[in-house]
Amino acid sequence: MDVTSKPGRSRVTTPSDREIRTERTFDAPRDLVWRAFTEPELLARWWGRGNPLVVERLEVERGGHWRFVEHAPHGTYGFEGRFREVTPPESLVMTFEWDGMPGYVLVNTIGLEDLGDGRTRVVSTSLFHTTEERNGMLSGGMEEGLNQSYAALDQLLDTID
Amino acid sequence: MIFKMKSDPLTTTFAALADPTRRAILVRLASGEATVMELAAPFAISQPAISRHLKVLERAGLISRGRDAQRRPCRLKAGPLLEAADWAQHYARAWEERLDHLGAVLQELQDKATQPTVRRESRHGRDK
Repeated sequence: MDVTSKPGRSRVTTPSDREIRTERTFDAPRDLVWRAFTEPELLARWWGRGNPLVVERLEVERGGHWRFVEHAPHGTYGFEGRFREVTPPESLVMTFEWDGMPGYVLVNTIGLEDLGDGRTRVVSTSLFHTTEERNGMLSGGMEEGLNQSYAALDQLLDTID
Repeated sequence: MIFKMKSDPLTTTFAALADPTRRAILVRLASGEATVMELAAPFAISQPAISRHLKVLERAGLISRGRDAQRRPCRLKAGPLLEAADWAQHYARAWEERLDHLGAVLQELQDKATQPTVRRESRHGRDK
């Protein structure tokens, strides 16, 4: 199912109830895209979405640690994880954790497909541990009420609209 | 350390929604404002208990209370609910934004590679 889809940009889908998949094609050769994902000074220029990003660690190897800190206007957000698989220049598999939700880990797979005409398709798939985490990555103790909360939320939103 | 996070608004929203009584209160308020007494009526719990629930909802920004000191009617505020509903897309949207910026960086890198002379001349003086 398509969650959001802006024309000519990326395709965001939810292939299963625990996944979010984003796919976009870039007019750039795969080696260059690989560098943008694995060289700290290049990565710092885009990963922060326009916010200053400090790449504290980027050990691109199996088991290597990565840690980025994004300095957004309203706060500082730290993200980190470890590389599970590194296959240059095709794919990266890493764990992903946000400081705001410690202990809730998702697995992010980045695939770089060489389209053979100088373009590269980037596919980011994030696998969440549970559906609840995909839907909210909620902190402990709330899981029980979550499905009911969503049901209530749906009900409320119907009323508001 | 500097990365200590405050509880984020979304967590507060969901914590407030995690209780069945509070959800029932919100559903009731979705049909219009009500006083504490009116809200307490259908529940087998005391008015002070309802007041405590209202405080949680108010702190989460899910309801607002009127100024009238006597009645202080409660109203539903939709903002945080809409944000919470949006969360599933938040993570995906972050990736979208990252990829937007990645596209710009890739473009820049390639421009630099294909037109080294032009770039150097046009930036001459500014880089020094």
